[in-house]
Amino acid sequence: MNKDLISLPMSRTWRDIPQHVRPRAMSPEGRRRMTVGLVRAGAGIMAAVVCAWVAWELALVVRNQPGGILASANAHPVRPPILLTDGVLDNRWLARTLSLPKGSTLMSLDMIRLRERVLANGQIASAALVKHFPDTLEVRISERAPVGRILAQVGKDAPRTLLVARDGVVFEGWGFDGAMLESLPYLGGIKLIRQGGGFAPLSGIAPAVELMAMAKLEADTLYQSWKAIDLSRLSSDGEIEVLARDGMRAIFSANGSYLRQLARLNLLCAAAAGDPTRTLRVIDLALGSDVPVTYGPPNPAVSASH
Amino acid sequence: MVRPIRPFPRPIELFQPTTPLSSRNTFIGAVEIGTSKITVLVGEYTGKELAIIGCGECASRGVTKGVVADYKAATECTHSAIELAERDAGERIDCVFMAQSGGHLEGFYNEASVNVKAADNMIEKEDIRTVCELAKAKELPPGRMVVHHIRRPFRVDGRIVPTSPENLMGQKLEVGYWTVHGQEQRLADHIHVIRGFNLEVRELVLSSLASGYMVTSPEERQNGALVLDIGGGTTDYVLYRNGVAHTTGILPVGGAHVTSDLAVGLRLTEGQAEKLKLRHGRALMQTRERSEKVWLDGNFSIGDRQFPRQAIEQITAARAWETLEVVKKKLGPSFVSEMCASGVVLTGGGAKLPALAECASRVFGVPARLGEAPGWVADNLRDPGFHTALGLLYYGVNSQGERASAGRRRQGFLQSVTRLFA
Repeated sequence: MNKDLISLPMSRTWRDIPQHVRPRAMSPEGRRRMTVGLVRAGAGIMAAVVCAWVAWELALVVRNQPGGILASANAHPVRPPILLTDGVLDNRWLARTLSLPKGSTLMSLDMIRLRERVLANGQIASAALVKHFPDTLEVRISERAPVGRILAQVGKDAPRTLLVARDGVVFEGWGFDGAMLESLPYLGGIKLIRQGGGFAPLSGIAPAVELMAMAKLEADTLYQSWKAIDLSRLSSDGEIEVLARDGMRAIFSANGSYLRQLARLNLLCAAAAGDPTRTLRVIDLALGSDVPVTYGPPNPAVSASH
Repeated sequence: MVRPIRPFPRPIELFQPTTPLSSRNTFIGAVEIGTSKITVLVGEYTGKELAIIGCGECASRGVTKGVVADYKAATECTHSAIELAERDAGERIDCVFMAQSGGHLEGFYNEASVNVKAADNMIEKEDIRTVCELAKAKELPPGRMVVHHIRRPFRVDGRIVPTSPENLMGQKLEVGYWTVHGQEQRLADHIHVIRGFNLEVRELVLSSLASGYMVTSPEERQNGALVLDIGGGTTDYVLYRNGVAHTTGILPVGGAHVTSDLAVGLRLTEGQAEKLKLRHGRALMQTRERSEKVWLDGNFSIGDRQFPRQAIEQITAARAWETLEVVKKKLGPSFVSEMCASGVVLTGGGAKLPALAECASRVFGVPARLGEAPGWVADNLRDPGFHTALGLLYYGVNSQGERASAGRRRQGFLQSVTRLFA
């Protein structure tokens, strides 16, 4: 007899009861457990997929370039670094600053020390060094722009000209156009403090920087005539004294409107220019609407040119 | 309709050691949803050993006579107990073994016999498969589902064979199954209570089988023993003979009925009656003096009053005696004192009623004793109320490997991954 033809009554067991439950029939803890389980399962599947992808990529590398995976970055000496800047520094400066040993590889570079070397120059506001394997080092920098000059003498050394940025950082300056540097006024009446191999950032020069920026923007002719800016009375009296190339001195108030003061100065200069018999010596703009003006004899150089 | 014979799965022997589920530790939860309390134990199975690492208990609500009557209340209590147990264990339960009780569970015996096919009368695997399949093939009424198929020993030409009869000589092979079945909705309610916590119910085990396993030794089961698990709303019993469960049954009467009798008889609230039962209840009368009285609270507070001790004993003893009598009556001819040499073993919270063992001994005419958990069980789990949950855990350990090896073949890749990270 064929056993397949035997008919037997089949009883259902409790295992035939479906065990799926809708989430809304679950308790909050049950729903939480279900969510955690699903998230874990999802993460597991994701991890498996990533592992499979990595394995696939490795397999491709091994198949297409059997020696490539074994060739380490050490096999390639670093090319001359690439400089990306928003300022005036060039590759020559970079090479000198980094002074990478000849034949060094990317893996052997200490990126933190190299970045410190770059940032040691006050002209650099920020720097990022990026390795591009196998052999390229990219340096991205942001530079400070000078707003003034100072003449500093350290010990018995000859005086040297330093540049001052908007944020008060004092730096030597590299690669700037000579004419542009000549147009920058000297800052006087400030105290330089040694810090490490350089100088600490100047504090409290923000009003002067603001004045210079306003003058350059609104009255560039006036600004070009400024030779020096004395800040010795800035902290005590709130006054900034500007010395022009023709010997005229203008005193600005740090508390008043620079625009208004510049306008008055411009007006006075324009009025005085028409009178060859006398020249402006001192203009005190710090007293508000009353502007005491001191005249002097005509400047011989100016008279001669007329 | 003609149905082909399904391949007969290897019979799952209750409580026989099998291979472990997996190499990683498994955290099994044993859940007993009782009428008076819900007990959850957490066992950590290392593959070789089972350690009980957590326990949670919660007063039961929404359960009447072992059956879920109020789904929401029962779910809240059960989930609280599971959370307590998981917190105690410090681990998340992987799967649940659940005790099953209730008046809807019934059992019947069905046997079958086949003539040995081989010409040399040697019994083969095919003969065993066929006779087992035939013995289990009994159609149940609509809405009923099988909970257990408990196989009794094989008989070869009338001779009892305790183990497999394969390769034995004989002409006729017989086997019988005690089939426990229950109402589908009731079983589903229990399962859904656990599923509401997003846990899988891996096994349903009759409460009496679980507790019986814990309080009797293999020798006692071989010699014949009757285990009575007296709970709050039900009394579950299992009669062992020849080492296996011969008959099981459930009586929808338990300790709560004794309390109820006291409340009605002495005009008390359920809480007061429960207090009196625990303090002064007895399964046999002891007090002779009718004038001897006991205080309800004994602290002279307002409402505190006296009750005759004899009346309390009379009420509790009457109910205990009646319950045992009903069990004996339900067992009928299955219970033969000569074949129950190990006597009656009492377990469950209701078994703590003083003199119950003596009462059972008088009713059944065999020695009776209070069941005790094996010596290796920790002191805090030796209370009779934990025997069922403990038995569930050990049942889980013994059967899980078998289930898992069969289940692993069936489950798909996604399920395997989900289980791996769940």
